[in-house]
Amino acid sequence: MGADALLAVGLSYRTAPVNVRERLAVDDLGVHRTLANLVSSGVSREALLISTCNRVELYTVPGRGGESAVAEFFSTFRGPEGEPLDRYLYWHRGREAVQHLFRVSSALDSMVLGEPQILGQVKEAVRQAQEANTLGRVLHRLTQRSLAVGKRVRTETALGQHRVGIGNAGVDLATQIFGDLRGRRAMLIGVGEMGRQVANALQTAGLHELVVCNRTWDRARELAEIQGGTAIEWGRLGEYLGRVDIAIAATGATEPVLRAADVRSALRARNYRPLLLVDLSVPRNIASDVDGIEDAYLFNVDHLRDVQSRGKALREEAAQDAHALVDDETDRFMTSLAELDVSERIGGLVRHFEAVRAAEIERSGRLVAELDDEQREALDAMSRALVKKVLHQPLQALRQAAREGDAERVEAILHALGEEDA
Amino acid sequence: MDRIPYIAVLLAYGLVGLAHLHPGIGERLGERVRTVAWTGVVLHGLALLLRMVTTTIGPGFPEAISAGALGIMGAYALAGKGRLSALGLLLAPLATVLLGTALVVPHRQVAALEHSDAVIPWLPVHLGLVFFGIASFALSFAVAVLYLLVRRELKNKRFDRLGRLPSLEVLDSLQFRATLFGFGALTLGIGVGGGIAAVALDEPWAWDPKVGFSLLLWAWYGASLQLRLVGGWRGKWAALFAIVGFAGALFSLLGLNFVSTGWHGYGG
Repeated sequence: MGADALLAVGLSYRTAPVNVRERLAVDDLGVHRTLANLVSSGVSREALLISTCNRVELYTVPGRGGESAVAEFFSTFRGPEGEPLDRYLYWHRGREAVQHLFRVSSALDSMVLGEPQILGQVKEAVRQAQEANTLGRVLHRLTQRSLAVGKRVRTETALGQHRVGIGNAGVDLATQIFGDLRGRRAMLIGVGEMGRQVANALQTAGLHELVVCNRTWDRARELAEIQGGTAIEWGRLGEYLGRVDIAIAATGATEPVLRAADVRSALRARNYRPLLLVDLSVPRNIASDVDGIEDAYLFNVDHLRDVQSRGKALREEAAQDAHALVDDETDRFMTSLAELDVSERIGGLVRHFEAVRAAEIERSGRLVAELDDEQREALDAMSRALVKKVLHQPLQALRQAAREGDAERVEAILHALGEEDA
Repeated sequence: MDRIPYIAVLLAYGLVGLAHLHPGIGERLGERVRTVAWTGVVLHGLALLLRMVTTTIGPGFPEAISAGALGIMGAYALAGKGRLSALGLLLAPLATVLLGTALVVPHRQVAALEHSDAVIPWLPVHLGLVFFGIASFALSFAVAVLYLLVRRELKNKRFDRLGRLPSLEVLDSLQFRATLFGFGALTLGIGVGGGIAAVALDEPWAWDPKVGFSLLLWAWYGASLQLRLVGGWRGKWAALFAIVGFAGALFSLLGLNFVSTGWHGYGG
């Protein structure tokens, strides 16, 4: 049984809306039960179920009922209006199924290209299938390889390196100025949503301390508590500007809250170490002439969007490399599985010919009985050598054909050698 | 100089420089390039050491600039990890040109020292210190150029190279450390040079253009360090200081030796 028998059936955010996806989604316990059911009922010989909020996919080597039994299994599920799920499901067979799983593991099929969670989710699905004991010779190899491919894409392409989101655009700018963010301090001025996103991302990236400053003290304290920072009074804004490395402004003010003079005195206070200023407010909260001050780096919301879209473009570029890597891995997996398949069938053939040989010697029982031990051994050795010699050439050709991926020739040679009888 | 190992070294340095022209030089390729650089540096160091040990006439101008090239590539090989590998774009061609020059100029001993065998063992020390200094200044120069590049991109809001080049603070602090180290080495080198002059020429402050220029350079770098520590002249200003300073150091290394008529000269 080679990878040709492999089947991947499922639906994802690409093909089905969330109210359909949730009809199929199952929790951990459900995954275990479903896998066990599939195998015990004979629908599947091997099965792997990946169930996340963006996709539900079954990878399976079907049982005797073949594809139709699997289709029947899916027909027991209905959409939100009682409709069958047919139009949401995609079916991948053989090579396509292998390639699909590799793409999924590499986050090439994810809603956010290159997102880091999916590999962990696949790993979890594999663990569940191992527990349910539904991974056989095909899926065991496939799942191990797909985890390795996911890891390769992560380390060998730039797919996972470019962060997304407006908050991370702020992190990209901050790291270009400061390098490591550990030990750095930031001040959040105002409670605007985007400012909080940037603050969050900075904190995730290792920011040492966050100070929150707002015109109304209660809101400042509230936000400081949510963000895990320290609230300061509005009047101390200028003083604190000299103590932080990053200031993020997101207030509803219509006048600048930071002017060039504030920034100059802050820079003096920090002995002219660079200061990053991020202005996410419209109208702007930081006077635009601040950017003309040496060592002050001012970015507004449009700049952050530019950084963000560049990250997206780079991800798409990296995705090209990742696709090439996945395709290459798919080819290699198919070949290695075909080779494995052939070598197992060769094993079967060799056992068959051995049986034929033993039976033939058995048949000439009277003759053999007259031989002494030494002669019997010689006959045995001679007959074995004969079988081996005869089989040598065709088996060589068989292996060669398998290496070249020529399935037709493989079948022809196996047929000629009388595999059906084996 | 026996040229064959030097030509191999020259090829290695040139290769490193060329590799850095590749815009998206990744981490893996970067590591391989650094291996090539290390190989060149080790071979270069061995060849130079052998030359120093077997020499009977004392090191001259080619050895001097060859040591300068070695110092520069050594600085790159040590510092050019990760995003800092962008330093190779400046340092490798610089070292290649210096070593190339060393291979084509004729060997002449410093004329004034021909009859002063006693100081010959001290010449490598003097040279070594001065060239540690110059290598450090070369590093601080290359780092300063990168600093200005990153600064300009951020000020102009151009994000093409965001995340590919080192951060401003990393560059600024490396630039400071390299200058500080170079200044220390130059100070000692000038001191040893004074000692040699005292013995060989009977006067420690024997004046010639190179001595004068070296003292000027020493004062320049000293001033840049002082201004930085006391006046907060970091970032752009420190970078400009480093660039002008290194231009002066190069002039002293190459230019002065051709035009000079002083006793450091090889021209006469």
